[in-house]
Amino acid sequence: MMMFIRPRLRKPLLRGMAGLVLAGAWAIGGGPAQWLAIVIAIVAVGYAVGWYVWAGEDSDEGALLGSRADERQKLVGQKARALAGVVAMAAAYTGLVITLAVKRADAWPFAALLLVTGFGYLFGLSQYGSGESDPADDADAGHQARSSVTY
Amino acid sequence: MRNQVREQRTQREMSQADLAAALGVSRQTVISIESGRYLPSLPLAFRIARFFDLAVDKMFDPEEEEAGA
Repeated sequence: MMMFIRPRLRKPLLRGMAGLVLAGAWAIGGGPAQWLAIVIAIVAVGYAVGWYVWAGEDSDEGALLGSRADERQKLVGQKARALAGVVAMAAAYTGLVITLAVKRADAWPFAALLLVTGFGYLFGLSQYGSGESDPADDADAGHQARSSVTY
Repeated sequence: MRNQVREQRTQREMSQADLAAALGVSRQTVISIESGRYLPSLPLAFRIARFFDLAVDKMFDPEEEEAGA
């Protein structure tokens, strides 16, 4: 379906929809502050429009937001995402330590986040690593492949 | 790693935007390659070399970095 949507519109549309789902969840949840669902929806639409405008800029960020990044810009995006993951793990660990010391019952969300990010990292390694299933070309010759890399 | 991208581009009186369009990358990426901040992937390095009708090892010279290592 995303193929039929203009590249510049894809990410803003997804973000906007995610915000509207959040607003819907707030509305369904009920409670006295129902009006906040409307505020969330307005912010989500504004966020999507802002994202769309930014995606039109001639910059690395614009290319990434506009889904037209080249290889270097994709690498920049991957590094930024990796940094975000590290920050999330550090925040989860910090939260876990603080809640364990202050109010142990509230610690589980931080522990869960830490576990999810940790398993996500391990899953990434298993997906993108070379693995051990590929034998070296000269494995049958009875000697190990030599690497020119020295440590 | 030194490269000849800027020299070859200016010899042909091309702008960075022209070269970027010809290679199918962004202007920012051409700037990064010229300044040596970014080493292109092998396919892009070949594309650049072919565009300027040079061998890859003429376009990208690893000697300077190896000498310093």
